[in-house]
Amino acid sequence: MIAELVWSYIYVVTIAVIVLSLYGMATRPNLLKKLIMLSILSDTGNILAVLIGVKSGVIKPPVFPGVSFTHHPEAGTESLARFAEEAVDPLPQVLVVTAIVIGLAVLIFLSYIAMLLYRKYGTLDVRLIEQRIRSGGGR
Amino acid sequence: MTRWSDLKEIIIATAAALLLVALSALLASSGLVAAPPPSDNRWLAEKFLTLTYNAERKALWAASPEVVTSILWDYRGIDTVYETSVFFFAIIGALMLVRSYKPARGEKIEGRGMSVIARTVTRITLVAIPVVAASIALHGHLTPGGGFQGGSVFAVATLLAIVALGTGFLVNRGWSKGRLLGFRTLGLVIIVFVAIAVPIIGLMDGGRAYLVQNQEKPWSGYGAGYIYSVLGLDILYSGTLLFLNLAEFLAVSAGLTLAFLVMGLPREKLYKGGDVE
Repeated sequence: MIAELVWSYIYVVTIAVIVLSLYGMATRPNLLKKLIMLSILSDTGNILAVLIGVKSGVIKPPVFPGVSFTHHPEAGTESLARFAEEAVDPLPQVLVVTAIVIGLAVLIFLSYIAMLLYRKYGTLDVRLIEQRIRSGGGR
Repeated sequence: MTRWSDLKEIIIATAAALLLVALSALLASSGLVAAPPPSDNRWLAEKFLTLTYNAERKALWAASPEVVTSILWDYRGIDTVYETSVFFFAIIGALMLVRSYKPARGEKIEGRGMSVIARTVTRITLVAIPVVAASIALHGHLTPGGGFQGGSVFAVATLLAIVALGTGFLVNRGWSKGRLLGFRTLGLVIIVFVAIAVPIIGLMDGGRAYLVQNQEKPWSGYGAGYIYSVLGLDILYSGTLLFLNLAEFLAVSAGLTLAFLVMGLPREKLYKGGDVE
């Protein structure tokens, strides 16, 4: 019962954070705050993806232990089967690495656009930016 | 007055937390959430975990004990090459937006940075962080980590230098836009070269090999090898994985540093632009 409560609490909190970040993106007028909310949203999505790969019981990273540059014993099917019983699912982690890189690229691009908007209009408030566009150009 | 608003915030936060706990109790009792998770891996995960370093089934292995890196650069290699190019073009696009800035030759950028304490601590960590980053990237095929992770850690060092020591600290030491962009491009070029090296060797030999192929397959007998013997030592380098990790490290660290550097330039420099380079 406790385990089920803890797990559903994790899911509920993650989804609550997603809802909150969407709310923040929609309601905050400041572009910087919108960007922060966007990064929180993508990070929470990544947490959800990693949660898919988690399993109960013994959990170890998906790296076969005891291998270095100079010491690399040949691993057979048996020892790898024992390793696979303990290691977590590597696939969600791979997808999350890819998602983090793409998310970072998008974030850098968007922050440059925000920087340019600030240079042109002197504010990051979308309402003021709209006002200044309507009244004809930057400062 | 402040006391009351503090109390109000505490009450709201506690109520929200209690609401979440109640909601999760409701979900747990209704059995809607599949929790706790199963204790065994999925079929696909089982395959990756048991095959990636399996010397008894070399037809399907990646010669690396690190399963995440193996999937990233071997089983799903082309995907990661595209991902790296997306990152590259995002930075190119971002720099295109601020293209009016061209640093003049020998131009000095003044920057105060932070206090003496922060500057001293930053100078110490400026040595330590790149060492850790290089270690993460070099051991990418042996321990958790890899090129992107190492590059991100390296960019933390340069970001720290930009914030604590001022942008001039890096710019005056020759970390120019063109040079960093060159390193960034060099990383991508190495990745592309490694990706097409094995197919080209196969073509020259009259056979057939795949893009981003790492190890030999029974139906395509070309590979990058996995052990390099030097000075009586057998060094495991896991085929293309080491080279791809190092190239990605170069690309990501230079790209992120460039993005932070241009962002950290003084506003009047960016706004005015400069002389022709």
